Amino acid sequence: MTADEPTGFLYPFIEAEEQDAGALLTDLAASARGKIAESGRLQAATLAACADQVDALATEMARRFANGGRLFTFGNGGSATDADMTAVLFRRPRAGAGRPLPAVSLVADQAVLTALANDVGVELVFSRQLIAHGRGGDMAMGFSTSGGSTNVLRAFAEGRARGLLTAGLAGYGGGAMASCGDLDHCLVVGSDSVHRIQEAQAALVHALWEQVQARLASGPDEGTG
Amino acid sequence: MSVDEIADDLAAAALTMARRFAAGATMWVLAPAWPAHGRHVAVEFVHPVIVGKRALPAVHVDDADLVGAVRLLARPGDLLLAVGGVDDRDLAGVLRRSEAWGVTTLWIGSGPRPAPGAAGHVLWSGPDAFVLLYHVLWELTHVVFEHPGLLADDPAACADDVCITCSDEGRVVEVAGAVDPATASVVVLAGGQRETVDTTLVGPVAPGDLVLVHAGTAISVIDEPAP
Repeated sequence: MTADEPTGFLYPFIEAEEQDAGALLTDLAASARGKIAESGRLQAATLAACADQVDALATEMARRFANGGRLFTFGNGGSATDADMTAVLFRRPRAGAGRPLPAVSLVADQAVLTALANDVGVELVFSRQLIAHGRGGDMAMGFSTSGGSTNVLRAFAEGRARGLLTAGLAGYGGGAMASCGDLDHCLVVGSDSVHRIQEAQAALVHALWEQVQARLASGPDEGTG
Repeated sequence: MSVDEIADDLAAAALTMARRFAAGATMWVLAPAWPAHGRHVAVEFVHPVIVGKRALPAVHVDDADLVGAVRLLARPGDLLLAVGGVDDRDLAGVLRRSEAWGVTTLWIGSGPRPAPGAAGHVLWSGPDAFVLLYHVLWELTHVVFEHPGLLADDPAACADDVCITCSDEGRVVEVAGAVDPATASVVVLAGGQRETVDTTLVGPVAPGDLVLVHAGTAISVIDEPAP
């Protein structure tokens, strides 16, 4: 494929004659080790830096779950799948790993998503669903590695207006989320690699879920959910 | 599984993946227990997060009948990425047929490791590391694209014991029609191509059965767990 690129003739001697895959495999494995190490380091650093925020957010989420609140999750692209997996983690914990909690992904239904994207615009695909579903006492959790996804920010504004707890997970410096007045909690991963950010966000979600479960197990409201 | 071992496995898998994509493959992604992982892999390859990286064809398949869907969709030379454990019977049914369909397989999972040869590349870790594994796989695959001289399929691959073209090993094929009672022959899928084989030694077979074939003759029917 690459040989067909129209600029290939300009650099006929670069790499094109490379025949020994052994050196490349060695480089690839070294690169993989570096990425795995960096992912682990960033996850640990993020959990440490966000410890107080995770603690406060878990306390408020546990209180809302105990009172019948529901969690709505959303994001775009890979972050949409993070939203899906977060909803599944809360709703269907591995057997014996905790109490199932009501959580719904707002990216799960392609009919709803495409209807909203087509009719009212992609920037409203999540906020419009919160208008339909959200009640005071519920929770809205949005994922955006850049912190700048307009539809995620619009959902925070709608959630705030309806009395939902709003929580955002972002990367880079937090982007627009860092200064978003509609957010009760903003957890920022200090990295500019989308992949490493998503891996650290998954670690944050897992820590959050563990702490919510721990509070519900020890709290006075156990058994009411 | 040490970091060094998984790094070596990722490197080898990325080289295979880049070579297959360069040859025109589509990657079919199956993740019956974790469909969000399947969707994440597809969006990762189709819409790269790094501007300028080429879009690669990856499709998440979540039909109830995975075997039927992949048999219909996959062409010889395609890639198949399975995400799930060894106890996933749907995945196992597809992976067992990959040789017959001529597709190259990669398997990301956790828990007990699959038997040797269950997939072309096995990437095994804890369940919380799946995202890391396919992120790194994507990153390394694009590194391989920067080495066009290495994108042609490896000629040394034919020295492998299980090479279907030149070894004496039997080949796994899938019955693709009804046995002709006059000749006891049946059409099968072998490496993705239709061939006729003799069934005299194995008796009755039905479409979808997996059969071991040597020199044009079916020598045994492969037992599969009841669905």
